[in-house]
Amino acid sequence: METKETLFDFLQQQSGKLLEQTLTHTGLTFISVLLAVAIGVPAGIFISRRKKLSGLVLGFAGVMQTIPSIALLGFMIPLLGIGPKPAIVALFLYALLPIIRNTYTGIQGVDATVIEAATGMGMSRRQLLYKVQLPLAMPVILAGVRTATVINVGVATLAAYIAAGGLGEFIFGGIALNNTNMMLAGAIPAALLAILFDWLLSLLQHINIRKTRKMVYLLPLIFLVLSSFYLLPDTYRGKMLAGFTPEFMGRKDGYLGLRSVYGLHMRTLVISDMIMYKAAYEKKLDVISGSSTDGRVKAFDLVVLEDDKHIFPPYYAAPILRNATLTKYPALAPALNRLAGRINDSIMTELNYRVDYLKQNPETVARDFLRSQHLLQPAGSGTEGTIRIGSKIFGDGYILASIYKMLIEGYTNYAAVTKTGLGGTKIVFDALTNDQIDLYPEYTGTGLLVLLETPQHITDSIIGDKQKVYNYVSQAFKKEFDIVWLTPIGFNNTYALMMRKTDAEKWHINNISALTDFVNKRQ
Amino acid sequence: MIKLDHVFKNFGPQKNAVNDLSLEVADGETLVLLGTSGCGKTTTLRMINRLLEPDSGHIYVNGKEIRQLAPETLRRTIGYVLQNTGLFPHYTVSENIAIVPSLLQWDKATIQQRVITLMDKLRLSPAEYANAWPQQLSGGQQQRVGLARALAADPPVMLMDEPFGALDPLTRISVRREFKALDELSNRTIILVTHDVEEAFELGSRICLMNEGTIQQLGTPLELLRRPANEFVAAFLAPQRLQLELKALKIKDLWAWLPHQHSPGYTTTLSADQTCWEAMEAVISQPILVQYAQEQKILDSSGLMQAIAAWKN
Repeated sequence: METKETLFDFLQQQSGKLLEQTLTHTGLTFISVLLAVAIGVPAGIFISRRKKLSGLVLGFAGVMQTIPSIALLGFMIPLLGIGPKPAIVALFLYALLPIIRNTYTGIQGVDATVIEAATGMGMSRRQLLYKVQLPLAMPVILAGVRTATVINVGVATLAAYIAAGGLGEFIFGGIALNNTNMMLAGAIPAALLAILFDWLLSLLQHINIRKTRKMVYLLPLIFLVLSSFYLLPDTYRGKMLAGFTPEFMGRKDGYLGLRSVYGLHMRTLVISDMIMYKAAYEKKLDVISGSSTDGRVKAFDLVVLEDDKHIFPPYYAAPILRNATLTKYPALAPALNRLAGRINDSIMTELNYRVDYLKQNPETVARDFLRSQHLLQPAGSGTEGTIRIGSKIFGDGYILASIYKMLIEGYTNYAAVTKTGLGGTKIVFDALTNDQIDLYPEYTGTGLLVLLETPQHITDSIIGDKQKVYNYVSQAFKKEFDIVWLTPIGFNNTYALMMRKTDAEKWHINNISALTDFVNKRQ
Repeated sequence: MIKLDHVFKNFGPQKNAVNDLSLEVADGETLVLLGTSGCGKTTTLRMINRLLEPDSGHIYVNGKEIRQLAPETLRRTIGYVLQNTGLFPHYTVSENIAIVPSLLQWDKATIQQRVITLMDKLRLSPAEYANAWPQQLSGGQQQRVGLARALAADPPVMLMDEPFGALDPLTRISVRREFKALDELSNRTIILVTHDVEEAFELGSRICLMNEGTIQQLGTPLELLRRPANEFVAAFLAPQRLQLELKALKIKDLWAWLPHQHSPGYTTTLSADQTCWEAMEAVISQPILVQYAQEQKILDSSGLMQAIAAWKN
């Protein structure tokens, strides 16, 4: 048995990466806050003079604030692509409200008598602004900057989803891999950054008003220096760029395996799988980690590279449920097993294509599929209990959850609800063990490597054979978690490296070894 | 020096805040705008330094129609004192006093000199207070800094909006006394707004009593008392009438009615320029000797009372 890795070990091993991520994170935060100050403070001044516009401007900034961060990042991608640009714009929009509002409030809050005295003594509007209103509003404005900075340290973790880097890489990698150390290695520094910046800005805020006059000039400079941190990690770059999901980055059957077995070393970005395919299509990325049955492989004209050294284990999907659930709902297993062996790789790719690319509703796709297989039945009474079906946030999950819902309703008298979008493996598996859902489709490979953390020698001995993996996983789950694997559905949604078909043909790359040779030669 | 010519101002369609107001203030004169809240006196004041623009009519300062000047230029030549001082909380006392000279781009040494002079005159020790923050000062001290700030650029005209209004009664009396004695103010043209009748009578060389945006009466304190122009003026002054008269009336005004008594041995002397109020305080304990021109008279309480009664009739 290998000894468990401690957080400290992880931090030591990954110190370079951690530093890079921290710098990137700091840079992202401050570039966006700096931009927000550059736009927000003048906007705040403007609306303090034209009060009729204040509702409109504050309303707009407020709406920006209410857009969920991940959605805002998503909106940015069609406009600005992936990487730091959309992340900075999104963070900038988040920082805007506190800065505009505090500038406005700060200026409004200046004693009216002082304003009258200043005007009455013959100050021009400009002198009034620079000598009276801004200095007196400064503590309030700085409080706004402080709020914006802390918000942005938090939101910047999400930048990892769109390949902008930052501490989110560790956090989401950790969640996806069920690796607490990795998660903490991202979360703790992010929290510390927030506390540190908050504290430093609070010092500024409470400094003697007199000295803040000089601070006004110094502050942008400090921000500029901090912003430039973003550029540092960019100095070492290779020629081909790979975009991998956080999960893939940290897995033995992912990037770690690519490095150790194939010797593939590339410049990598962490990116959400939602936008990865499109980014490859748009030549923002050259190589991506995808799943072999993903509909977008077809949609974006990509080609899957053959895993000639067999590092990607079989990922056969099968529903898993607690043993207790099977006992409680005896009709459940036969209904679910009606799907066994029915979906092969090409059917799954087609189904995914319809959902991911043609944007058809997963329920519609599920219904059409069941009808074509003559498995669609009118719903039963639904009176004998309710089954909660979970899924991860990928296309497979949504479709399978819908199919199972219809099967359960059609072939039993149970009602079924779907709880889709439960994030990565860790979240959905925790939901299952904690009785928040009753079943979800899992992959044998994920069970073997992520959930069981199977020792290396066992993995090595069985990984070539899909049946051995299934047998090992279903026995180990029974023993360890009292969870049952039903019969696999049929398709193998394994990890795969893929690239644009045109590139692959141009450079004669058809498997991962060829890619490795190509990359090593070019660097 | 300052002239208002048929000035109108209203803030809504209903009622004029200032309704056809015309008045003139002579060089070196202190005119008090007196009236209840909302009578238009502050509006009038704020139109003179263009914090408000009149709807119609003309205002002249130093013979110039004020709209010919940029508002900033005009305001830098007019000292402005506010009820709540309006001191800049982020400026020290000396920086506050130096604001207008700095706006006028005086050189540093001159400003420094001027600040020290004013602080000395207003009994604010420069060593102690020059670098203090306004919030560290008492109310009376803050008001004196406010006055120094208005005086700093040596403006020929001063506008004062309830300058003692925020002070407690005791402080108010002492600051007012200093104000009267201050040589910096003696030759300036001052318009002072107040709702305090006693203050108006004490400080004003003339008083302009206003109601609902119009002038009820404009005249010296004694004129207002002896010949009130209308019921409103009479009623406005009635509650404090006797006290005001005694304070407005000087011994020399009564000279003709004072009895001639030549008895030697009195040394305590009162000036004929002092008020009857002060004379009464003095004669309560013993008769006193008063000198007016070449003449001396002995004043006792009954003689004083009889003279006042005679004057009133």
